[in-house]
Amino acid sequence: MTEQGDNSAGADPGRQPYRDREQLIANAVAAYVDLQLQGEAVDTDAYCRAYPELDPELRAQILALDELDTVLLPSETPGAGQPPKAAELPERLSGHKILGEIGRGGMGRVLLALDERLGRKVAVKTLNPRYADNPKLRARFMSEARALARLSHPNVVRIYNLGSADEEPHFVMEYIEGASLTEVARRLALSQKIALMLKVILTVDFLHQRQVIHRDLKPGNILVGPDLEPKVLDFGLALQGDDLGPRLTQAGEIMGTPDYFSPEQAQGHAPLDARSDIFSLGTILYELITGAPPFRADSARDQIRLICERDPALPRRINSAIPGELQNVCLKALEKDPSQRYQSAREMADDLARFLAGEPVLALPSSYARMIAGKVEQHVRELGGWRQDRILSEQEFDSFRKLYDRLIDREDAWIMEVRRLSLSQVSLYLGAWLLVAGAALIVLFRYVGLSGAAPLAVVSGATASAYYLGIRGWRGGRQRIGVAFLLAFCLLLPTLLVIAMNEWGLFSAFTKGREDLELYSLFSAFKNTTNAQLWWAILLSLPVYGWLRRFTRSSVFSLVIAVMTALLGLVTLLRMGLIEWFDADPGKVYFHLIPIAALFFAAGLAIERSGFSSDSRYFYPIAVGFTIIALSGVAAFHQPYAEWLRSVAPVTRAQVEYLFVINASIYLALQYACERLSSPQTRWVAKSFRFVIPGHVMASLLLLGMAASGLWEQSPANNNLRLEARIFEVLLPAVACLFIFGSVVKQMKNFFVTGLLFLGIGVIRLQQDLFKDRAAWPLSLLVIGFLLMLAAANHDLIKRAVRRAAKKIVRR
Amino acid sequence: MEQATSTYDLLDRLGKGDESAFTALFERYQKRLALLIHYKLSPEMRRLTEVEDVLQETFLEAFRDIEQFRYEKPGGFFGWLARIDDHVIADAARFHGRQKRRAGEVVRFRSVGTPDGPEPVDSATPSRLLAEKEKLLALIQRLDRLPEDYRRVILLAKVEGLSNAEIAEQLGRTREATALLLHRAIKRFRALRESGTAQ
Repeated sequence: MTEQGDNSAGADPGRQPYRDREQLIANAVAAYVDLQLQGEAVDTDAYCRAYPELDPELRAQILALDELDTVLLPSETPGAGQPPKAAELPERLSGHKILGEIGRGGMGRVLLALDERLGRKVAVKTLNPRYADNPKLRARFMSEARALARLSHPNVVRIYNLGSADEEPHFVMEYIEGASLTEVARRLALSQKIALMLKVILTVDFLHQRQVIHRDLKPGNILVGPDLEPKVLDFGLALQGDDLGPRLTQAGEIMGTPDYFSPEQAQGHAPLDARSDIFSLGTILYELITGAPPFRADSARDQIRLICERDPALPRRINSAIPGELQNVCLKALEKDPSQRYQSAREMADDLARFLAGEPVLALPSSYARMIAGKVEQHVRELGGWRQDRILSEQEFDSFRKLYDRLIDREDAWIMEVRRLSLSQVSLYLGAWLLVAGAALIVLFRYVGLSGAAPLAVVSGATASAYYLGIRGWRGGRQRIGVAFLLAFCLLLPTLLVIAMNEWGLFSAFTKGREDLELYSLFSAFKNTTNAQLWWAILLSLPVYGWLRRFTRSSVFSLVIAVMTALLGLVTLLRMGLIEWFDADPGKVYFHLIPIAALFFAAGLAIERSGFSSDSRYFYPIAVGFTIIALSGVAAFHQPYAEWLRSVAPVTRAQVEYLFVINASIYLALQYACERLSSPQTRWVAKSFRFVIPGHVMASLLLLGMAASGLWEQSPANNNLRLEARIFEVLLPAVACLFIFGSVVKQMKNFFVTGLLFLGIGVIRLQQDLFKDRAAWPLSLLVIGFLLMLAAANHDLIKRAVRRAAKKIVRR
Repeated sequence: MEQATSTYDLLDRLGKGDESAFTALFERYQKRLALLIHYKLSPEMRRLTEVEDVLQETFLEAFRDIEQFRYEKPGGFFGWLARIDDHVIADAARFHGRQKRRAGEVVRFRSVGTPDGPEPVDSATPSRLLAEKEKLLALIQRLDRLPEDYRRVILLAKVEGLSNAEIAEQLGRTREATALLLHRAIKRFRALRESGTAQ
């Protein structure tokens, strides 16, 4: 049979040029020698069959090498180096008529047979005759088969029958008509591939639960029938997990190229556990989605090196259509360190099922961490450490992880952003800026050479050409240049309008009939442009900006609209008498900013809700800015606010610091409101409000405490003042602690840092006053610190203990 | 072919004081080393020095210095042995300038006089080597009939146990050329056997 096989294989490679063929054989021989050098028992048959096109010559060469070994190696190794016995097909096995040979494995052959009684084809696996004489091996072969026969799973090949003792060792199993996994997968859609892979993984999980480790998972060992049901077969290397010693399957460890081996398997580390199979599954998944296995080298030696050392290329680099989540699952299974992989096939299956259901997967492959340079890598490792010590919860870790994922996703875009800053670009924007500055000068100042209609002509010429060039650039497909010119036009337009109004004397009436309320009155060198002219110029420009936004669909014009609207708001205040307020009652200025801020919020929300979220994002920062400026200003300067406080709570003496604390609570309320709206933009708004809260509260508390202490010192007999000072002394560290622990909820570092800082200050203030010269104070701090650290280190234990105690109480 | 782990295990056992492991190591490598020594010795040295003497001396030194050996990769131990026999041969060559050496003096396994020496390697060892000497001699004869570079590449690959890449480095050839050389060497080696059996 072998001879026949040789001849048929040797007949066709005449197509290859002789020289190339010789080199191929030479390479295969060298790889074989290298494999042996690795200390592996290489199965000659299997190796030769890996290169069917080289067969007769390669086999002869390898037999000669083996012959050398018989002379050079200790002779007691059983069967080593003996040329394999010519294998003839038996007539019948277990009463089934043998039809032919299907394939060869490390330990024997697989024959096709006909079960005549049932009229079905079966596969018969036999033990290689070279092992058949060894009673120990033979017994193991049979017990392996018995173990597999106990497995009953629709996706595991079924064992029908075990050969009897008087026949050559064999067992009869299901014959599967199908193609290998990768072959079938080529014609499938991604989701079908994943669904198929999921079945395979669940099958492997089934094996693992029965203590069977496959050890040779590869697409060729997973046949898929026309019904797309995979069948896992060839447990030639299977190992029962409960028996740590390698079993029968030692005999033919490495066959051909170990494409699908795990690092620990490639290095020959015994014993292997279920996680070795996980790696193989990862390799298969990788091949399914990218089309090629992750590690492929010319020689087995290089192959092993790649498996052990190299990170696989990111699947998304190979095919950007592969979802990132799927990539994560794949890379997680391909971790070099078994403890970093999925710890069971079930975990992997669950994650893959999550992916299929469109849910986020849990996998965080460490190869990402390696890919991000410096700090991030370090940080991820640090986070992992915190998590391991159970100081960071899984959810917290996940949220950090997601941030890093996003970071990586944007890597390419970021590089593009940086590269966009070229010399010509800088010149373009600088030019636009100078153009606008020139026009602004013409508006603001009087020039001897430019009087009468001349400035109008100059600026309108500039405006018109900026508009023309911008529109032309945009239409001509040079969008960025077009936008640059149009932006210049946006700034030139109100300038032009102001000049025109000046020239024609439009809207020249003073605010409230008083010249001292005009903006220009503050700067003597300025031209007499009235507030009304400014107001109208901006207002008339706004629709033009709106039209440009519609025409170009570029959200940069939304930025222009937002900024110009803000200016319009300020000019409105000017027309209401802003300049007078500044002198008389600054609080009024800030008070009137509040409605503007509210309007901006409303505008942002309205724009976002109507589906233009990229436009709305320019309105929110302005709204937040106005709010914070307005509230701070009102707290600091607005008399009625202070009066109100005095009337409500006379204790406060209308101190400004209390107003800041109230402001902080307003921010808190705003923050909750924004969170409720739950759009990405309002979440950002919530975050920025949250950001200013701790500073407001803590600084105010500190100042209040210091003021109270000062007052008490002036009249030490007053018990009320003493009480107040004491309350503040205790309140400061208490609120600081609250902030420190509160920082966990929303992951706000500023709460944490501010809390720590002011806690320190509070501790010192307490020491200065309440605990002066008392050693118990620092000592108790030491003890509390230690206890806290110990509690944090054992936080898991404590949690469980508390839970148990709680249960007991509930039961009673 | 030997198992990588088992050489490692033997060394490990030896490191833990199990001297029977040394015997096993000796068994494992003696034939390859003998062949290597045979070809390292100059023809006149071959007459003067018994290959087995050098072999025994090499193992003895190996036993003495075993602590210095670090197992790094499969085949590393043999490479180490091969380096030791270089010294032994060089010493022997110097020694021969003055005096012919007798085999008995070289082997100082454990005895009353040398209690620190290794346990006598299986007392049958020399004779076993002799028993298989016939095969070894036949192999040597066949190798002798190969052209120098063919013989060398076979020795490097199968006796010294170097990888293709290492051989390529040593011969200053590309890997592919080295593989081709080995392939042709084996082909010629086969042809020798075939013609030999035909006679």
